[in-house]
Formats: sequence, C-alpha cells, structure tokens
Amino acid sequence: MPHRKRSLLCVLAAATLVSGCFAGGQGEGTDRIQLGLAFPPVKAMSPFSDDAATATRMGTAETLVTLDAEGTPQPALAASWRESDPTTWRLRLRTGATFHDGTPVTAKQVVASLQQAKEATPTPRSLAETDIDFAAEGEHIVVVRTAEADPVLIQRLSSPELMILAERAYQDDPTAPNPVRAGTGPYVLTKVNGATSATLEAFDDYWGGKPATPGIDVRFLSEGDSRARALRAEELDIAQALPAGQLGSLDADQLVSVPLPRTVNLSLNQESPVFRDAELRAAARAAVADLDIAKTIYEGDADPPAGLFGPASSWAEKPGYPEAKAADPNGRRISLATYSDRAELPEAASAVAEALRKAGFQVSVEVKEYAALEPALLRGDYDAVIGARSYVLDTGDPIGWLASDLACDGGYNLARYCDAEVDGLIRNAAEISDPAERNAAAVDISEQILAADVLVPLAHEKTRFGLGEGVTGIAEDPFERQIITKDTAKQ
Amino acid sequence: MTLRTLGAGTARTAGTVLASCLAVLLVVAALPWLSGTDPARTVLRMRFAEREPDQQALEAIRAELDIPANPLLGVLHWLAGLPRGDLGISWVSRQPVGPEVASALGVSATLAGTAATVAVLLAAAVLLPGLWRATRTGKPLGRTSGAVAGLLGSLPEFVLAALLLAVVAVHWGWLPTFGWSGVESLPLPALALGVPAGGLLARALSGGLDATIAEPWVRTWRANGFSRPQVLLALLRRGIAVAIPQLVLLFVGLLGSAVTVEAAFAIPGLGQTALDGLLSQDLPLVQGCVLVLILLGLGLGGAGMLAHRALLGSVLHTAEVPAAIPVSQPNSKLPAVLAVLLGLIVLAGLPRDGSSVLLTERLAAPSAAHPLGTDAVGRDILARFSSGALLSIGTAVLVSAVCLLIGLLVGLASRRGRAGAPDVLNALPPVLVGIVIAAAFGSGLFGAAIAVVLVGWIPLAVHARTLAVQARGSGYVRAATLGGARRGWILRRHLLPSVFPQVLRHAVVRVPHNALGIAALSFLGLGAPHDSAEWGAMLAQSLGYLERAPWTIAGPTIGLALLGMLAGSIRGTRN
Repeated sequence: MPHRKRSLLCVLAAATLVSGCFAGGQGEGTDRIQLGLAFPPVKAMSPFSDDAATATRMGTAETLVTLDAEGTPQPALAASWRESDPTTWRLRLRTGATFHDGTPVTAKQVVASLQQAKEATPTPRSLAETDIDFAAEGEHIVVVRTAEADPVLIQRLSSPELMILAERAYQDDPTAPNPVRAGTGPYVLTKVNGATSATLEAFDDYWGGKPATPGIDVRFLSEGDSRARALRAEELDIAQALPAGQLGSLDADQLVSVPLPRTVNLSLNQESPVFRDAELRAAARAAVADLDIAKTIYEGDADPPAGLFGPASSWAEKPGYPEAKAADPNGRRISLATYSDRAELPEAASAVAEALRKAGFQVSVEVKEYAALEPALLRGDYDAVIGARSYVLDTGDPIGWLASDLACDGGYNLARYCDAEVDGLIRNAAEISDPAERNAAAVDISEQILAADVLVPLAHEKTRFGLGEGVTGIAEDPFERQIITKDTAKQ
Repeated sequence: MTLRTLGAGTARTAGTVLASCLAVLLVVAALPWLSGTDPARTVLRMRFAEREPDQQALEAIRAELDIPANPLLGVLHWLAGLPRGDLGISWVSRQPVGPEVASALGVSATLAGTAATVAVLLAAAVLLPGLWRATRTGKPLGRTSGAVAGLLGSLPEFVLAALLLAVVAVHWGWLPTFGWSGVESLPLPALALGVPAGGLLARALSGGLDATIAEPWVRTWRANGFSRPQVLLALLRRGIAVAIPQLVLLFVGLLGSAVTVEAAFAIPGLGQTALDGLLSQDLPLVQGCVLVLILLGLGLGGAGMLAHRALLGSVLHTAEVPAAIPVSQPNSKLPAVLAVLLGLIVLAGLPRDGSSVLLTERLAAPSAAHPLGTDAVGRDILARFSSGALLSIGTAVLVSAVCLLIGLLVGLASRRGRAGAPDVLNALPPVLVGIVIAAAFGSGLFGAAIAVVLVGWIPLAVHARTLAVQARGSGYVRAATLGGARRGWILRRHLLPSVFPQVLRHAVVRVPHNALGIAALSFLGLGAPHDSAEWGAMLAQSLGYLERAPWTIAGPTIGLALLGMLAGSIRGTRN
C-alpha cells in the first residue's frame, strides 16, 4: 500500500512538471525586431488606459495628429486642418489610409472612434472639462466643435487615447476596444499574450509606405534591470527606458538618450509648519543647490537643473533666482517622501536628506511604492516631496501642468501652493492660442514659482533606449508616444 | 478510537479549515477598509500612471467597479459566483480572474516543482556523504555538512537570481535572461529558489538523521552484518518520513512566495500576480489567488500528512519506533571561528562613519579608505554593515525565538496530524501578510517582524508535529501511556526532550532565513525604513549594481552567509 501511494505521488509530481504551461509563441524569422517595453498592458490593450501609448509606441495605432519635439501638431491620419471659426475646426483625412482589417479610414469611422473615446469612463484627460462635438462631413472631413474657443484643440487630438480604430475594435465591448487587427499603423497587432508579450506583423498597405521590418515581437518587462540584461544577452533589439544604474554595463554606441520634458523637483509644502516660512524654504533650496544629482545619481544621463523646464523644450530658458534671505533651520524637523518606482529617486532622497541635515534640518525620509504613497502626497502629509513629473500633459505645452500642479484648485498640487496672482496668470495663459506665446507665458509664471521656492528643480530627465547592433530608425519622441516607425529596421 | 469520534474529529477539522478560509478571504476583502485607501484610486493609478485623481475620474471608476458597501457583502457576493466557477472580473483589467489565476498557477506549480526537486537533490548531496560514512562508523553527520547547509540556506534568493542572470544568462549566454517560453526558461529560476530551500531542508533533516544514527538498532544492524546500503536505506526511510511534510510546505510556500525571483526573471507566476493585485487593491484578483493558494495548501498539506503516516505507518502500528535520542557532539572550533570572524568585521566598522553621503565617492571600489567600498550615494559600506548587524541579527533572532515558541506549542498540542490552520497560513504569500499588517498597523521593522513570525512558526510547528507523532509511537511513550502517566508528564519527560533539540536547531538555522524574510518586505517598503542599514534593506537598495559594483552586495551577503554557517554549525550538545 505505501508503495502504491508513493508511486501515485511520483506520477502526480511528474504530471505537474510536464503539464506546466509555458507562454511561448513568438513570430518566426531572425530579421524580426525584438522590442522590450517597460509598461505591461493594464487593461488588455484598451485605448482607454495607459495601454493607449503602448499601442502607439508599437506602431500599430495612430491618432489624427502627432506632436513634434516642440509640441507643434503634425499631420498623421489627418492630412490638414483649418479653423472655420473660433469654435469650429475642420480636419481633412489622408486619402488612401486603410485599417488593418482592410476597411477604409472614413470620416464616419473616425467620428465613431472619437465618440467612443468621449463616452469612455473616465473621460480621457485630454477631453476632460471640454464640451466637444464630432461630426462627419462627407467621406474625408471631420468637423470638431467646442462650446468655447479652445486654443489647443488640435494638440488635444494627439493624445493616444483618441486613437482611431476600425469598427471591429468596438464590437465586443465598446468601453474597452480591442486594437487587434484594427489599427492603421505600419504594424498589425496580431496577438496579445496577457501582460507578457505581443506579436505584430508588417502592414504592407500602410499609407506611409511598406514597413522596413517583417514583424515586431514585443516583450513587456517591467524591471529595468531585466531589459538591460536582455539587451546585453542579445535577446532584445530595442530596450525602452533603461535605468541609469545599468548604463555603465552598456556600450555608449548602444544608447540613445532623448531629453524628456520631465523634471525631478523637490516640492516644499507651503502649508507645512516649517516650510510655511519663506526663509526656511530658501534655506532648503540653498542646501541642495550644490547637489549634482544629474551627473552622479543619473550618471550624467540627465541634465542639471535649469528652471522648471528643461533642455527638452527649446523655448525654455534658465531663470536666475532673486536674492533670498535664508533662516537658520535650527534643528527643525521635516519629513521628506519619495517613491521607489523609479530607482533613482530613493538615492536622490538620501542625498537631499543628507544635504538638508548638514544645513541644520532634522530629516526623516519615507520611501514607498507610488500607489501606496499617493493618498498621503495629495493630503499634504509630508513637508517635502521629491518626484519626477512631465510638465507637458496632453497639449504639448506646460499650461495644463501649471494649472494642475500649481493653481489653488489644481488636482496634483503637491506643494499646496495657492497664490491669487499666479492663478490669474495661469488662467490668462490658457486663453492664448499662439504656441510660442503660451510657452513664453509659462516661462514667466515659472519664474514666480521658483522665486517663491515652491518647487526646487533637481534634474531634467532623459529616457534611454538601448539598441542592438544595426538597429536604426526609432522615433526619438520626447512625449514618449512613438518608438517603432515604418523605418525601424535591423541590418 | 470509535468511528463516531473519528467523524467528529473530521467535522471539527473541516470546520476549522472552512473558518480559516473565510477569515482570510474576509481580511483580503477588508483591505481597503484596513488601509483606508479608496480602491477606485488605486485602480485609476494602475490604468493611468500619471493622471490626477480628480473627482470625476474617481466617480466614474467607482460606478464601474461596483465596490461593495462592506467587506462581508463583498465576500458573499464573490462566493456566490464560485459554484458557477466564476472567480469574478479583475477591477483593473476587466478580464475574468479565473483564466489569469489558472495560467499563473500552472507557471508557479512548474517552477515550484522544479525548485523543490533541486532542493531535494541538493539536500541529498549535502547529507548523503555523511550518512554513508555513518553506516560504517555510526558517527553523526558532522558540522561541515551543517555549515554547508546553513550557508546555502542563507543565500538570498534575489541575490542568487541576479548572480545567475549576470553569469549564466548574460555573460555566457547559455540560457534566456527573462520569460517563460520553454524548458530553457526553467533552470535558472529553479536554482535561485531551490538552492536556499535545499540548504534549509538539509538542515531540518540533519538533526533527525543524527538522532536516528544514534539509535541502538543502527549499531545492532551494523554488528549483525547488514550491508551498508541496507543500513543506508533504513536510515533514509526515517529521514524521508520527516522530510515529506517539510517538502510539501516548501512546495506550497514556493507557489505564492517566489515574488522576488519571479520579478527578476519576468515570470508571470502566482506570487507576482497576487502582489500586483494587492498593490492595486484589485480585490477579485487577490481573492482568486488566495483561494487557489489556500485550497492547494490544505490539499497538499493533508496529502503530506498522509504520506508521512504511510511511510511511518507500518512501523507505528506493528512495531516500535525508538524515541529519538539526543546526541552529544564532540567539540569543534568551527562555530567559534565563524563567530569571531563575524564579530571582528562588525567591530572594525563600529568606529567608522556610515551616514555621510558623498556623491563624488559613489560606488567606489574597496580601498584603504573604504575597506568594503561605498554604496550608491557614497556611504562607507563597512560602517553601515556594522551598524546594521545588531539590527539585522537581533531582529532575526527575536523573530526566530518567537517562532520557536509558537511552533513548539502548536506542534505538540496537535494530537493528530491533519491539515488545519497552519496549512492555510503557510499557503499565503508573506507579502500578503506583510501588506495586511502594514495596512492595519503601519509599515516598519516591527510590522515586518510580525509578518515574518506569522508565517515563520509554521515549518517549526509542522516539524514538531511530525517528530511528536513519531515519539508518541515509540515504546517509551506507549508504555508510559499504558502505565497511566499524565499527559503533562509524558510531554515533559518524553516528548519535549526528543522534539525540542531538533526543532531548536531548525529554528537556529532559520535565523538567516528570517532575516531574509524581513529583507524581502523591506524591499517593498514594508520593512526597515529607507536609509536603514538593516542588511536586507542594504541589499535591496544595491541589487541593481551587482555587476558594476559587486562590493555593494558582497558586504551584507557575506554577513548573512557567515550568520548562516554559524547557525548551521551550532549543535545542541547535551549529555
């Protein structure tokens, strides 16, 4: 009897081992590109989530317009556009564009796609707080009407959440469209394996011409170290967002750095018992002024602080600080928080905390995963917070960011800053329609913010792509919406 | 025992099991209430990493999720779907939970099975030479095997994973660096999990084997001309009987707790799935994972007990199992040498300054100024090593002591071996326990220590239970029972002396393991605070620099290894 039981156990164990399912299934061929992306799909590739940008990065889905490095709209599925009156815009669609299932890109389907996005819950951020209406005019004209004049309406249409998909994408569940074989980009998304991998094939009928590579195999690797290792082991041809700590182990010619409109800031809580005092804020700023976080912790792969807006924005200029009187912190206690999701931030926190201690503060540091930290951040529980954040949200210019991060009723005002004059300036800037003037207004406002020591910039981030040998033609997009283009190839 | 009492016992077990299942599910369902974090917010964060949590967005998600009014309603609603095989819909991805959990379980079962195989082979490799020697000499296994087992058991899984990846996958290019695409994906993660587990297993077994070697029958057999293989087989049979429940625990534990290794190799296993669900408060997903883990833990735990009884059964019912006899050991210098070495390193670092941050000295190699190098912000590693030693070793020793106490109490109190609350708890990922503790009491080293105790007493309890079952089957105890001895007397005079030394050794060898458990929680921000010199926190902060600056990892790893060897070579000597 014992023997029979034992053999039964053995059989069971063996069955477990053999039947274990491996998640294989990559495309065939050595000239396919292996792409390692940092963010696994969170909502089964539905565009009504961050997966929208994943779809545009893979080169499978497109929007009506895209933004160039300066934030100026460029034609994509829309070939041109004009303002009929301040609340009405007409976009002319590109002729000859087809969806991956062979159906033509018509004004009717474009409007249907945009309408689904407008009805998504929650409303895509680029459309939130706007009263917008889409209509088709014939085969090729899309009419966009807004209740009030919107100077950045066209820029809003570049948001990946407003991608244009074929009718089939909405058939199963219109609240979570499926971009498989439903996009318009150079590559057809044929398969998504959960949060593990995805397979794409070249779309020979692409309106921009035949893609240079037969197919793309996407692997989702959320650990930066994994992406760097896989690149070095030649398992990946393109690795997105390598962590600074891994750059030393890669050859310089394997790296492409793209400056991002993303600043690492130390926000000083204006309601904290300590930093309510402007002279103590000035003391904190003076304490961290000499920290070269960009060169040390970011290994030179970030830019040293030059105001709130960094070198990714050609319009940014480095403002000078006015003379500020600093008080002696005298051992005042402060709490400093940051999140561990980005490897560099906890190290920066150690360095900043030490600098503040040397200046005479007593500092306690709190490091948590972002999701666990956020409620406390928004409640204003900490005296100071180190965070990295993009200052161009959906419209390609920093006005939206100023409104959300620095206006009294801003949704992400970590510094709990509220100044009636600055609020008025932000409201006025939002009315400007000329992009250059909007940027100039933002720079003016940023000087006031800096002078008040609300945010102390520490570094301007870059994103780092690792490329295998002979890989060319990736998009260097500071908005991080594009990576694979029709020209991406591997020799 | 009559049939009726047997039935009552089974019903009571079933009741306990059902109650513990429900309790765990309720705790999971109550997470948002415990932590005070709105699930709509965490779900929004998962779907839109950088979107401000404005009211409109939160309301929209709340309406979509249909969040229950209280945890009880949530669990009942979720349970109602179970008979239909419906595990619910993930709050984040809106995909059915069932298939996701099933595929993660397949992955984890394969990985855990292979890792358990590695552990068994390794434990055999460590123990067999000594055992073979013992068939001739009758001498105990020796301290070297104990030290080797202790060393292996103290290797942090995530350091081993990073090391294997750097050398075998990247440098030699023999095996893939990530993924789960075929058999070639299996060896490295299985080794990373299996090697430390093998060390622990060998250590847990060596105590029992030593006692068995000292039993009179071994001498008799040897004297009467039984061949060495025959003696070896007989010894092994006793060893395996103790090993099987431990092995089952190991396998079940690995199913849900391989988070760090799964993350290092980007393997879509159950531990990672559960952790992602927990962080985003995706309750249906977490409940699905937890249910599967508990059911498996109970099922396999029960099977392990049956196997143990089957292996021991014939002996228990027909003949006598000799009580384990405490073994006295010749003195050895090894523990003293290890202790002095560890002490000297710590002493050398104590007067040094470990707090000053110097970014220009970042990741400096070992030199006269910094004998163990500097870390990522330029702090002296030797100084941090020393200041973290007391914290790391002290906490781990305390945790182990509490585990030992609970383990002995529970193990000796359970009269018959059957699956119960320990199997339910063992199946839970420590991360889950850690997150619940942190949600309820706030995060910190204390919370992490409690979380490690909550799961750490189980192997000791199971070990004690197994040994007690054996001891109760021995002639002494049966004679004493028949002679009308009281339970307390039997416990004091017979059970404790044969159970305690082995479980104590097991507890000692678990000290480094518990240090690692705390480290893993520190890694997730649930343990020692940022900038703490606690060894686990030091490791977690430096892991990314393994190749560029190996010395950042070397300090704490060597510390843990010394601790492990020390723990492994200490033996309870008793006359």
